[in-house]
Amino acid sequence: MTKKNSTAHEASFRDPSGYMFYDAGSLRRVINPIYFQQYYRLKDSRFFSTLIEKGLLISHEETSASEKQIIITPEKIPFITNPYEWSFEQFKQAALLTLKIQKYALSKGFILKDASAYNITFHKGKPIFIDTLSFDFYEENTPWRAYKQFITHFFGPLVLAKYHGTDIFKMLQTHIDGIPVKMIASMLPRKTKLSSTLFTNIHLLANMESKHSEDYKAETKVAKLSRKAQNNILDSLFNYIKNLQLNEATEWGNYYTKTNYEATAFEAKKELIRKWTVTLQPQKLIDIGGNDGTFARTVLDQVPHVIVTDIDGNSVDHNYRQVQKNKETNMLPFVCDVLQPAPGVGFNNTERASLIERLKEYAPDVTMALALIHHITLSGNVPFEKSAEFFAAFSKHLIIEFPTREDSWVVSLLVRKREFINHFDFYNEANFEAGFKNYFSLEKKEVVAGTKRILYLYKNNKDVG
Amino acid sequence: MIFLYFDPGLGAMIVQAVVAAAAGVLLFSKGVMYKVKSFFGLIKEKEDTYDSIDIDEKDTDVNDKEK
Repeated sequence: MTKKNSTAHEASFRDPSGYMFYDAGSLRRVINPIYFQQYYRLKDSRFFSTLIEKGLLISHEETSASEKQIIITPEKIPFITNPYEWSFEQFKQAALLTLKIQKYALSKGFILKDASAYNITFHKGKPIFIDTLSFDFYEENTPWRAYKQFITHFFGPLVLAKYHGTDIFKMLQTHIDGIPVKMIASMLPRKTKLSSTLFTNIHLLANMESKHSEDYKAETKVAKLSRKAQNNILDSLFNYIKNLQLNEATEWGNYYTKTNYEATAFEAKKELIRKWTVTLQPQKLIDIGGNDGTFARTVLDQVPHVIVTDIDGNSVDHNYRQVQKNKETNMLPFVCDVLQPAPGVGFNNTERASLIERLKEYAPDVTMALALIHHITLSGNVPFEKSAEFFAAFSKHLIIEFPTREDSWVVSLLVRKREFINHFDFYNEANFEAGFKNYFSLEKKEVVAGTKRILYLYKNNKDVG
Repeated sequence: MIFLYFDPGLGAMIVQAVVAAAAGVLLFSKGVMYKVKSFFGLIKEKEDTYDSIDIDEKDTDVNDKEK
Protein backbone atom coordinates (compact mmCIF):
# COMPACT_ATOMS: atom_id res chain seq x y z
CA MET A 1 0.00 0.00 0.00
CA THR A 2 2.92 2.32 0.51
CA LYS A 3 3.31 2.49 -3.24
CA LYS A 4 0.17 4.63 -3.29
CA ASN A 5 1.69 7.73 -1.76
CA SER A 6 -0.69 10.64 -1.57
CA THR A 7 -2.87 9.64 -4.48
CA ALA A 8 -6.60 10.05 -4.81
CA HIS A 9 -8.66 6.93 -4.28
CA GLU A 10 -10.10 5.74 -7.59
CA ALA A 11 -13.60 5.33 -6.24
CA SER A 12 -14.21 8.83 -4.96
CA PHE A 13 -14.58 11.43 -7.62
CA ARG A 14 -18.33 11.63 -8.13
CA ASP A 15 -19.17 13.63 -5.05
CA PRO A 16 -17.90 17.26 -5.11
CA SER A 17 -18.16 17.40 -1.30
CA GLY A 18 -14.77 15.76 -0.93
CA TYR A 19 -12.60 12.83 -1.88
CA MET A 20 -10.52 10.00 -0.44
CA PHE A 21 -6.78 9.81 -0.80
CA TYR A 22 -3.88 7.64 0.32
CA ASP A 23 -1.45 9.35 2.62
CA ALA A 24 1.54 7.04 2.98
CA GLY A 25 -0.53 3.98 3.62
CA SER A 26 -3.46 5.59 5.41
CA LEU A 27 -6.71 6.31 3.67
CA ARG A 28 -7.97 9.78 4.51
CA ARG A 29 -10.87 11.92 3.39
CA VAL A 30 -10.71 15.55 2.30
CA ILE A 31 -13.79 17.71 2.85
CA ASN A 32 -14.17 20.69 0.53
CA PRO A 33 -15.54 24.08 1.72
CA ILE A 34 -18.77 23.37 -0.18
CA TYR A 35 -19.56 20.78 2.50
CA PHE A 36 -18.25 22.60 5.61
CA GLN A 37 -21.69 23.75 6.77
CA GLN A 38 -23.10 20.25 6.61
CA TYR A 39 -20.04 18.71 8.23
CA TYR A 40 -20.09 21.02 11.25
CA ARG A 41 -23.80 20.59 11.82
CA LEU A 42 -23.48 16.80 11.61
CA LYS A 43 -20.56 16.90 14.00
CA ASP A 44 -21.87 19.48 16.48
CA SER A 45 -25.35 17.99 16.73
CA ARG A 46 -23.71 14.67 17.64
CA PHE A 47 -25.32 13.05 14.63
CA PHE A 48 -22.05 11.42 13.57
CA SER A 49 -21.15 10.29 17.05
CA THR A 50 -24.54 8.64 17.66
CA LEU A 51 -24.33 6.63 14.44
CA ILE A 52 -20.72 5.73 15.22
CA GLU A 53 -21.55 4.62 18.77
CA LYS A 54 -24.33 2.45 17.38
CA GLY A 55 -21.82 0.83 15.03
CA LEU A 56 -23.77 1.96 11.98
CA LEU A 57 -21.25 4.45 10.58
CA ILE A 58 -17.52 3.97 10.27
CA SER A 59 -15.70 6.00 12.91
CA HIS A 60 -13.28 8.76 11.97
CA GLU A 61 -10.93 11.27 13.50
CA GLU A 62 -10.52 14.85 12.43
CA THR A 63 -6.89 15.01 11.33
CA SER A 64 -6.71 18.66 10.35
CA ALA A 65 -9.00 21.60 9.66
CA SER A 66 -8.26 24.79 7.77
CA GLU A 67 -10.32 27.25 5.77
CA LYS A 68 -9.52 25.42 2.59
CA GLN A 69 -10.09 21.86 3.65
CA ILE A 70 -10.85 19.53 6.50
CA ILE A 71 -9.16 16.16 6.58
CA ILE A 72 -10.65 13.23 8.43
CA THR A 73 -9.15 9.77 8.84
CA PRO A 74 -11.65 6.94 8.98
CA GLU A 75 -11.05 3.67 10.79
CA LYS A 76 -9.23 1.25 8.52
CA ILE A 77 -11.25 -1.53 6.94
CA PRO A 78 -9.02 -4.47 6.02
CA PHE A 79 -10.94 -5.59 2.94
CA ILE A 80 -13.74 -3.96 0.94
CA THR A 81 -16.38 -6.26 -0.54
CA ASN A 82 -18.64 -4.97 -3.27
CA PRO A 83 -22.42 -5.53 -3.63
CA TYR A 84 -21.98 -8.13 -6.39
CA GLU A 85 -20.00 -10.24 -3.93
CA TRP A 86 -22.61 -10.33 -1.19
CA SER A 87 -24.90 -13.18 -0.28
CA PHE A 88 -28.65 -12.63 -0.03
CA GLU A 89 -28.62 -12.11 3.71
CA GLN A 90 -25.74 -9.64 3.45
CA PHE A 91 -27.47 -7.71 0.67
CA LYS A 92 -30.65 -7.59 2.69
CA GLN A 93 -28.94 -6.25 5.79
CA ALA A 94 -27.09 -3.62 3.76
CA ALA A 95 -30.43 -2.42 2.36
CA LEU A 96 -32.03 -2.34 5.81
CA LEU A 97 -29.11 -0.39 7.21
CA THR A 98 -29.51 2.23 4.48
CA LEU A 99 -33.21 2.68 5.32
CA LYS A 100 -32.49 2.81 9.01
CA ILE A 101 -29.89 5.53 8.57
CA GLN A 102 -32.16 7.54 6.29
CA LYS A 103 -35.01 7.37 8.80
CA TYR A 104 -32.76 8.47 11.61
CA ALA A 105 -31.29 11.26 9.47
CA LEU A 106 -34.78 12.48 8.65
CA SER A 107 -35.69 12.69 12.31
CA LYS A 108 -32.66 14.92 12.88
CA GLY A 109 -33.21 17.21 9.90
CA PHE A 110 -30.83 15.47 7.52
CA ILE A 111 -31.15 13.12 4.54
CA LEU A 112 -28.99 10.59 2.81
CA LYS A 113 -28.26 12.43 -0.41
CA ASP A 114 -27.41 9.19 -2.14
CA ALA A 115 -28.32 5.56 -1.51
CA SER A 116 -25.56 3.81 -3.38
CA ALA A 117 -24.89 0.21 -2.39
CA TYR A 118 -21.18 1.09 -2.42
CA ASN A 119 -21.77 3.26 0.64
CA ILE A 120 -21.90 0.06 2.62
CA THR A 121 -19.43 -2.71 3.21
CA PHE A 122 -18.93 -5.45 5.79
CA HIS A 123 -16.70 -4.94 8.76
CA LYS A 124 -16.46 -6.72 12.12
CA GLY A 125 -19.24 -9.13 11.27
CA LYS A 126 -21.89 -6.67 10.12
CA PRO A 127 -22.74 -4.07 7.50
CA ILE A 128 -21.41 -0.58 8.07
CA PHE A 129 -21.97 2.74 6.32
CA ILE A 130 -18.66 4.07 5.00
CA ASP A 131 -19.47 7.25 3.11
CA THR A 132 -19.34 9.89 5.83
CA LEU A 133 -20.16 12.71 3.40
CA SER A 134 -23.41 11.19 2.18
CA PHE A 135 -25.56 13.40 4.42
CA ASP A 136 -27.19 16.69 3.60
CA PHE A 137 -29.81 19.00 5.10
CA TYR A 138 -33.43 17.99 4.87
CA GLU A 139 -35.65 20.56 3.27
CA GLU A 140 -39.17 20.38 4.66
CA ASN A 141 -41.71 18.64 2.39
CA THR A 142 -39.26 17.48 -0.25
CA PRO A 143 -39.29 13.89 -1.52
CA TRP A 144 -36.22 11.70 -0.96
CA ARG A 145 -33.86 12.40 -3.83
CA ALA A 146 -32.02 9.15 -3.41
CA TYR A 147 -35.24 7.12 -3.55
CA LYS A 148 -34.71 5.93 -7.12
CA GLN A 149 -31.13 5.01 -6.32
CA PHE A 150 -32.32 2.93 -3.41
CA ILE A 151 -34.64 1.04 -5.77
CA THR A 152 -31.99 0.45 -8.44
CA HIS A 153 -29.18 -0.42 -6.01
CA PHE A 154 -31.04 -2.34 -3.32
CA PHE A 155 -34.74 -2.98 -3.60
CA GLY A 156 -34.77 -4.02 -7.28
CA PRO A 157 -31.83 -6.46 -7.06
CA LEU A 158 -33.28 -8.02 -3.88
CA VAL A 159 -36.73 -8.55 -5.36
CA LEU A 160 -35.20 -9.89 -8.57
CA ALA A 161 -33.06 -12.30 -6.54
CA LYS A 162 -36.22 -13.66 -4.98
CA TYR A 163 -37.48 -14.74 -8.40
CA HIS A 164 -34.26 -15.40 -10.32
CA GLY A 165 -31.67 -16.29 -7.70
CA THR A 166 -28.76 -14.34 -6.29
CA ASP A 167 -26.76 -14.47 -9.53
CA ILE A 168 -28.80 -11.34 -10.30
CA PHE A 169 -26.46 -9.42 -7.99
CA LYS A 170 -23.71 -9.92 -10.58
CA MET A 171 -25.66 -7.59 -12.88
CA LEU A 172 -24.34 -4.81 -10.70
CA GLN A 173 -20.92 -5.42 -12.24
CA THR A 174 -22.26 -4.14 -15.55
CA HIS A 175 -24.64 -1.56 -14.05
CA ILE A 176 -22.60 0.47 -11.63
CA ASP A 177 -25.52 2.75 -10.84
CA GLY A 178 -27.90 -0.09 -10.17
CA ILE A 179 -30.24 -2.09 -12.38
CA PRO A 180 -32.42 0.31 -14.43
CA VAL A 181 -35.98 0.45 -13.07
CA LYS A 182 -37.49 -0.45 -16.44
CA MET A 183 -35.35 -3.55 -16.60
CA ILE A 184 -36.30 -4.56 -13.06
CA ALA A 185 -39.98 -4.17 -13.94
CA SER A 186 -39.61 -6.19 -17.15
CA MET A 187 -37.93 -9.06 -15.34
CA LEU A 188 -40.53 -9.45 -12.63
CA PRO A 189 -43.46 -11.84 -13.03
CA ARG A 190 -46.80 -10.20 -13.83
CA LYS A 191 -48.28 -11.20 -10.50
CA THR A 192 -45.94 -8.77 -8.73
CA LYS A 193 -48.28 -6.00 -9.95
CA LEU A 194 -50.79 -7.26 -7.42
CA SER A 195 -48.52 -6.40 -4.50
CA SER A 196 -49.09 -2.78 -3.53
CA THR A 197 -45.45 -2.42 -2.48
CA LEU A 198 -44.00 -3.88 -5.69
CA PHE A 199 -46.57 -2.18 -7.89
CA THR A 200 -45.87 1.30 -6.57
CA ASN A 201 -42.14 1.05 -5.92
CA ILE A 202 -41.24 -0.70 -9.16
CA HIS A 203 -43.91 -0.90 -11.85
CA LEU A 204 -45.41 2.53 -11.28
CA LEU A 205 -41.97 4.04 -10.83
CA ALA A 206 -40.87 2.55 -14.16
CA ASN A 207 -43.92 4.05 -15.88
CA MET A 208 -43.43 7.45 -14.33
CA GLU A 209 -39.75 7.44 -15.22
CA SER A 210 -40.42 6.80 -18.91
CA LYS A 211 -43.26 9.33 -18.90
CA HIS A 212 -41.07 12.09 -17.52
CA SER A 213 -37.80 11.20 -19.17
CA GLU A 214 -38.06 14.05 -21.69
CA ASP A 215 -38.36 16.91 -19.28
CA TYR A 216 -35.03 18.36 -20.38
CA LYS A 217 -35.55 21.80 -18.93
CA ALA A 218 -36.68 20.53 -15.55
CA GLU A 219 -39.94 22.41 -15.98
CA THR A 220 -42.39 20.06 -14.31
CA LYS A 221 -43.06 20.99 -10.73
CA VAL A 222 -41.74 18.51 -8.27
CA ALA A 223 -44.39 17.11 -5.99
CA LYS A 224 -44.29 17.73 -2.28
CA LEU A 225 -43.97 15.00 0.28
CA SER A 226 -44.39 15.39 4.00
CA ARG A 227 -41.93 13.99 6.48
CA LYS A 228 -44.60 11.61 7.75
CA ALA A 229 -45.27 10.36 4.21
CA GLN A 230 -41.57 9.77 3.65
CA ASN A 231 -41.37 7.83 6.89
CA ASN A 232 -44.21 5.65 5.59
CA ILE A 233 -42.19 4.82 2.49
CA LEU A 234 -39.15 3.95 4.59
CA ASP A 235 -41.15 1.84 7.07
CA SER A 236 -42.95 -0.11 4.39
CA LEU A 237 -39.78 -0.79 2.40
CA PHE A 238 -38.06 -1.87 5.61
CA ASN A 239 -40.85 -4.30 6.51
CA TYR A 240 -41.01 -5.69 2.99
CA ILE A 241 -37.26 -6.29 2.72
CA LYS A 242 -37.06 -7.74 6.21
CA ASN A 243 -39.55 -10.46 5.24
CA LEU A 244 -38.07 -11.11 1.81
CA GLN A 245 -37.03 -14.74 1.23
CA LEU A 246 -35.42 -16.44 -1.73
CA ASN A 247 -37.78 -18.64 -3.75
CA GLU A 248 -34.91 -20.98 -4.46
CA ALA A 249 -33.94 -20.98 -0.79
CA THR A 250 -32.80 -24.53 -0.57
CA GLU A 251 -31.78 -25.54 2.87
CA TRP A 252 -28.10 -24.89 3.04
CA GLY A 253 -26.67 -27.78 1.00
CA ASN A 254 -25.41 -30.01 3.76
CA TYR A 255 -21.98 -30.18 2.22
CA TYR A 256 -20.12 -31.80 5.01
CA THR A 257 -22.57 -34.65 5.39
CA LYS A 258 -21.74 -35.46 1.78
CA THR A 259 -18.01 -35.60 2.33
CA ASN A 260 -16.35 -38.70 1.04
CA TYR A 261 -14.29 -39.31 4.12
CA GLU A 262 -14.85 -40.38 7.68
CA ALA A 263 -15.35 -38.10 10.65
CA THR A 264 -11.92 -39.06 11.97
CA ALA A 265 -10.30 -37.98 8.70
CA PHE A 266 -12.27 -34.73 8.91
CA GLU A 267 -10.80 -34.10 12.36
CA ALA A 268 -7.32 -35.10 11.16
CA LYS A 269 -7.56 -32.51 8.39
CA LYS A 270 -8.69 -29.83 10.83
CA GLU A 271 -5.85 -30.70 13.20
CA LEU A 272 -3.24 -30.56 10.46
CA ILE A 273 -4.47 -27.19 9.19
CA ARG A 274 -4.52 -25.73 12.66
CA LYS A 275 -1.01 -26.99 13.41
CA TRP A 276 0.50 -25.58 10.22
CA THR A 277 -1.34 -22.27 10.46
CA VAL A 278 -0.46 -21.63 14.08
CA THR A 279 3.27 -22.05 13.36
CA LEU A 280 3.05 -19.38 10.66
CA GLN A 281 1.40 -16.88 13.05
CA PRO A 282 -0.54 -15.11 10.32
CA GLN A 283 -2.20 -11.71 10.82
CA LYS A 284 -4.44 -12.18 7.80
CA LEU A 285 -5.74 -15.38 6.29
CA ILE A 286 -8.00 -16.15 3.35
CA ASP A 287 -9.73 -19.44 2.68
CA ILE A 288 -10.71 -19.63 -0.98
CA GLY A 289 -13.54 -22.04 -1.68
CA GLY A 290 -13.93 -22.28 2.09
CA ASN A 291 -17.62 -23.21 2.02
CA ASP A 292 -19.29 -22.13 5.27
CA GLY A 293 -15.97 -21.47 7.00
CA THR A 294 -15.73 -24.79 8.84
CA PHE A 295 -11.97 -25.09 8.35
CA ALA A 296 -11.21 -21.39 8.71
CA ARG A 297 -13.02 -21.46 12.06
CA THR A 298 -10.47 -23.91 13.42
CA VAL A 299 -7.93 -21.07 13.39
CA LEU A 300 -10.26 -18.12 13.99
CA ASP A 301 -9.04 -17.64 17.54
CA GLN A 302 -5.43 -17.47 16.30
CA VAL A 303 -5.74 -15.06 13.39
CA PRO A 304 -6.81 -11.39 13.76
CA HIS A 305 -8.55 -11.24 10.35
CA VAL A 306 -9.99 -14.10 8.32
CA ILE A 307 -11.72 -14.05 4.93
CA VAL A 308 -13.71 -17.00 3.59
CA THR A 309 -15.01 -17.01 0.04
CA ASP A 310 -17.16 -19.51 -1.77
CA ILE A 311 -18.86 -19.75 -5.13
CA ASP A 312 -22.11 -20.85 -3.48
CA GLY A 313 -24.20 -18.01 -2.09
CA ASN A 314 -26.00 -20.44 0.22
CA SER A 315 -22.75 -21.43 1.91
CA VAL A 316 -21.74 -17.79 2.28
CA ASP A 317 -25.17 -17.05 3.77
CA HIS A 318 -24.75 -19.94 6.18
CA ASN A 319 -21.32 -18.67 7.14
CA TYR A 320 -22.60 -15.12 7.61
CA ARG A 321 -25.40 -16.31 9.89
CA GLN A 322 -22.84 -18.14 12.02
CA VAL A 323 -20.70 -14.99 12.16
CA GLN A 324 -23.70 -13.09 13.55
CA LYS A 325 -24.82 -15.86 15.85
CA ASN A 326 -21.35 -16.29 17.36
CA LYS A 327 -20.70 -12.50 17.24
CA GLU A 328 -17.43 -13.07 15.40
CA THR A 329 -15.77 -9.80 14.48
CA ASN A 330 -12.76 -11.10 12.59
CA MET A 331 -14.48 -13.23 9.93
CA LEU A 332 -15.52 -11.82 6.55
CA PRO A 333 -17.45 -14.11 4.19
CA PHE A 334 -18.23 -13.23 0.57
CA VAL A 335 -19.17 -14.83 -2.74
CA CYS A 336 -16.41 -15.46 -5.28
CA ASP A 337 -16.09 -17.65 -8.33
CA VAL A 338 -12.38 -18.38 -8.67
CA LEU A 339 -12.82 -19.10 -12.37
CA GLN A 340 -14.34 -15.66 -12.86
CA PRO A 341 -13.30 -13.30 -10.07
CA ALA A 342 -14.90 -9.84 -9.87
CA PRO A 343 -13.36 -7.54 -12.52
CA GLY A 344 -12.41 -3.88 -12.12
CA VAL A 345 -15.54 -1.89 -12.97
CA GLY A 346 -16.71 1.69 -13.42
CA PHE A 347 -14.92 4.69 -14.89
CA ASN A 348 -11.43 3.84 -16.18
CA ASN A 349 -12.11 0.28 -14.98
CA THR A 350 -10.66 1.40 -11.69
CA GLU A 351 -13.62 2.81 -9.76
CA ARG A 352 -14.18 -0.57 -8.10
CA ALA A 353 -11.01 -2.61 -7.96
CA SER A 354 -10.87 -6.15 -9.27
CA LEU A 355 -10.71 -8.98 -6.80
CA ILE A 356 -7.07 -9.72 -7.63
CA GLU A 357 -6.06 -6.11 -6.99
CA ARG A 358 -7.89 -6.07 -3.69
CA LEU A 359 -6.30 -9.38 -2.69
CA LYS A 360 -2.85 -8.05 -3.55
CA GLU A 361 -3.46 -5.06 -1.35
CA TYR A 362 -4.88 -7.21 1.42
CA ALA A 363 -1.79 -9.45 1.12
CA PRO A 364 -2.90 -12.44 3.23
CA ASP A 365 -0.13 -14.16 5.15
CA VAL A 366 -1.78 -17.51 4.54
CA THR A 367 -4.02 -18.58 1.69
CA MET A 368 -5.95 -21.81 2.06
CA ALA A 369 -7.34 -23.73 -0.90
CA LEU A 370 -8.89 -26.91 0.40
CA ALA A 371 -10.68 -29.31 -1.93
CA LEU A 372 -10.53 -26.68 -4.64
CA ILE A 373 -7.77 -27.51 -7.10
CA HIS A 374 -9.62 -30.48 -8.64
CA HIS A 375 -12.54 -28.16 -9.44
CA ILE A 376 -10.29 -25.51 -10.97
CA THR A 377 -8.35 -28.11 -12.94
CA LEU A 378 -11.05 -30.55 -13.99
CA SER A 379 -14.15 -28.33 -14.21
CA GLY A 380 -12.36 -25.18 -15.32
CA ASN A 381 -9.68 -26.92 -17.43
CA VAL A 382 -7.05 -24.67 -15.87
CA PRO A 383 -3.49 -26.06 -16.08
CA PHE A 384 -1.68 -26.43 -12.72
CA GLU A 385 0.83 -23.77 -13.62
CA LYS A 386 -1.92 -21.25 -14.26
CA SER A 387 -3.52 -22.04 -10.90
CA ALA A 388 -0.14 -21.59 -9.24
CA GLU A 389 0.25 -18.21 -10.95
CA PHE A 390 -3.16 -17.15 -9.61
CA PHE A 391 -2.33 -18.04 -6.01
CA ALA A 392 1.20 -16.64 -6.29
CA ALA A 393 -0.15 -13.21 -7.23
CA PHE A 394 -1.22 -12.50 -3.64
CA SER A 395 -0.26 -15.36 -1.29
CA LYS A 396 2.74 -15.47 0.98
CA HIS A 397 2.05 -18.98 2.21
CA LEU A 398 -0.32 -21.39 0.56
CA ILE A 399 -1.95 -24.37 2.21
CA ILE A 400 -3.40 -26.37 -0.65
CA GLU A 401 -5.10 -29.73 -0.66
CA PHE A 402 -4.58 -32.03 -3.61
CA PRO A 403 -7.16 -34.80 -4.00
CA THR A 404 -5.42 -37.58 -5.91
CA ARG A 405 -6.90 -39.53 -8.82
CA GLU A 406 -8.12 -42.15 -6.36
CA ASP A 407 -10.29 -39.64 -4.50
CA SER A 408 -13.95 -40.43 -5.24
CA TRP A 409 -14.78 -36.86 -6.24
CA VAL A 410 -11.91 -36.71 -8.68
CA VAL A 411 -13.07 -40.05 -10.08
CA SER A 412 -16.54 -38.60 -10.52
CA LEU A 413 -15.25 -35.43 -12.20
CA LEU A 414 -13.09 -37.55 -14.50
CA VAL A 415 -15.78 -39.98 -15.61
CA ARG A 416 -17.97 -37.02 -16.54
CA LYS A 417 -15.36 -36.13 -19.14
CA ARG A 418 -16.48 -39.30 -20.99
CA GLU A 419 -14.52 -39.76 -24.25
CA PHE A 420 -12.19 -36.91 -23.31
CA ILE A 421 -11.03 -38.61 -20.12
CA ASN A 422 -7.57 -39.20 -21.63
CA HIS A 423 -7.09 -35.48 -21.99
CA PHE A 424 -6.84 -35.34 -18.24
CA ASP A 425 -4.14 -37.93 -17.70
CA PHE A 426 -1.94 -35.06 -16.54
CA TYR A 427 -3.97 -34.82 -13.34
CA ASN A 428 -1.58 -36.39 -10.85
CA GLU A 429 0.65 -35.60 -7.93
CA ALA A 430 3.87 -35.21 -9.94
CA ASN A 431 2.41 -32.76 -12.44
CA PHE A 432 0.71 -30.80 -9.70
CA GLU A 433 4.02 -30.37 -7.90
CA ALA A 434 5.81 -29.50 -11.13
CA GLY A 435 3.26 -26.78 -11.91
CA PHE A 436 3.52 -25.18 -8.49
CA LYS A 437 7.31 -25.43 -8.37
CA ASN A 438 7.67 -22.43 -10.70
CA TYR A 439 6.07 -20.13 -8.19
CA PHE A 440 6.36 -21.77 -4.80
CA SER A 441 8.84 -23.70 -2.73
CA LEU A 442 7.58 -26.73 -0.87
CA GLU A 443 7.74 -26.52 2.91
CA LYS A 444 5.55 -29.38 4.08
CA LYS A 445 3.67 -32.25 2.52
CA GLU A 446 1.43 -34.71 4.32
CA VAL A 447 -1.26 -37.21 3.40
CA VAL A 448 -4.48 -36.48 5.30
CA ALA A 449 -4.97 -39.64 7.34
CA GLY A 450 -7.89 -41.74 6.14
CA THR A 451 -8.26 -39.96 2.79
CA LYS A 452 -6.83 -39.98 -0.73
CA ARG A 453 -5.78 -36.40 -0.34
CA ILE A 454 -2.46 -34.67 0.21
CA LEU A 455 -1.99 -31.40 2.04
CA TYR A 456 0.85 -29.10 0.91
CA LEU A 457 2.36 -26.08 2.57
CA TYR A 458 4.02 -23.78 0.05
CA LYS A 459 6.00 -20.58 0.40
CA ASN A 460 5.91 -18.00 -2.37
CA ASN A 461 9.23 -17.61 -4.21
CA LYS A 462 8.60 -13.90 -4.47
CA ASP A 463 7.75 -11.29 -1.90
CA VAL A 464 4.15 -10.17 -2.14
CA GLY A 465 2.23 -7.39 -0.42
CA MET B 1 -29.56 24.06 0.01
CA ILE B 2 -29.67 20.58 -1.35
CA PHE B 3 -26.64 19.87 -3.38
CA LEU B 4 -27.02 16.98 -5.71
CA TYR B 5 -24.54 15.47 -8.08
CA PHE B 6 -26.68 12.87 -9.76
CA ASP B 7 -30.08 12.96 -11.44
CA PRO B 8 -32.71 11.85 -8.95
CA GLY B 9 -35.14 11.12 -11.80
CA LEU B 10 -38.20 13.33 -12.07
CA GLY B 11 -40.60 10.42 -12.24
CA ALA B 12 -39.10 9.03 -9.08
CA MET B 13 -39.69 12.32 -7.28
CA ILE B 14 -43.31 12.53 -8.35
CA VAL B 15 -44.15 8.89 -7.74
CA GLN B 16 -43.19 9.08 -4.08
CA ALA B 17 -46.51 10.71 -3.18
CA VAL B 18 -48.35 7.65 -4.50
CA VAL B 19 -45.84 5.22 -2.98
CA ALA B 20 -46.23 6.93 0.38
CA ALA B 21 -50.04 6.81 0.19
CA ALA B 22 -50.00 3.07 -0.61
CA ALA B 23 -47.44 2.48 2.13
CA GLY B 24 -49.59 4.42 4.58
CA VAL B 25 -52.65 2.30 3.83
CA LEU B 26 -50.60 -0.90 4.13
CA LEU B 27 -48.97 0.09 7.39
CA PHE B 28 -52.30 1.18 8.83
CA SER B 29 -54.06 -2.06 7.88
CA LYS B 30 -51.17 -4.13 9.21
CA GLY B 31 -51.38 -2.20 12.44
CA VAL B 32 -55.08 -2.92 12.68
CA MET B 33 -54.55 -6.60 11.88
CA TYR B 34 -51.85 -6.77 14.54
CA LYS B 35 -54.17 -5.33 17.14
CA VAL B 36 -56.97 -7.71 16.16
CA LYS B 37 -54.65 -10.69 16.23
CA SER B 38 -53.07 -9.77 19.53
CA PHE B 39 -56.57 -9.28 20.99
CA PHE B 40 -57.28 -12.92 20.12
CA GLY B 41 -53.81 -13.95 21.26
CA LEU B 42 -52.66 -15.02 17.82
CA ILE B 43 -49.31 -13.23 17.81
CA LYS B 44 -46.30 -15.43 18.06
CA GLU B 45 -43.05 -13.73 18.87
CA LYS B 46 -40.70 -14.47 16.01
CA GLU B 47 -37.00 -14.91 16.43
CA ASP B 48 -35.49 -11.96 14.66
CA THR B 49 -31.94 -11.23 13.65
CA TYR B 50 -32.84 -7.73 12.55
CA ASP B 51 -33.69 -5.01 14.92
CA SER B 52 -36.21 -2.36 14.03
CA ILE B 53 -35.73 0.53 11.64
CA ASP B 54 -35.73 2.93 14.57
CA ILE B 55 -32.58 3.78 16.43
CA ASP B 56 -33.00 3.65 20.17
CA GLU B 57 -31.17 6.65 21.56
CA LYS B 58 -31.90 5.99 25.21
CA ASP B 59 -28.65 4.19 25.81
CA THR B 60 -26.46 6.81 24.18
CA ASP B 61 -25.41 10.04 25.76
CA VAL B 62 -27.06 12.18 23.16
CA ASN B 63 -28.86 15.03 24.78
CA ASP B 64 -28.99 17.43 21.93
CA LYS B 65 -32.14 19.44 21.58
CA GLU B 66 -34.02 19.46 18.34
CA LYS B 67 -33.22 22.58 16.41
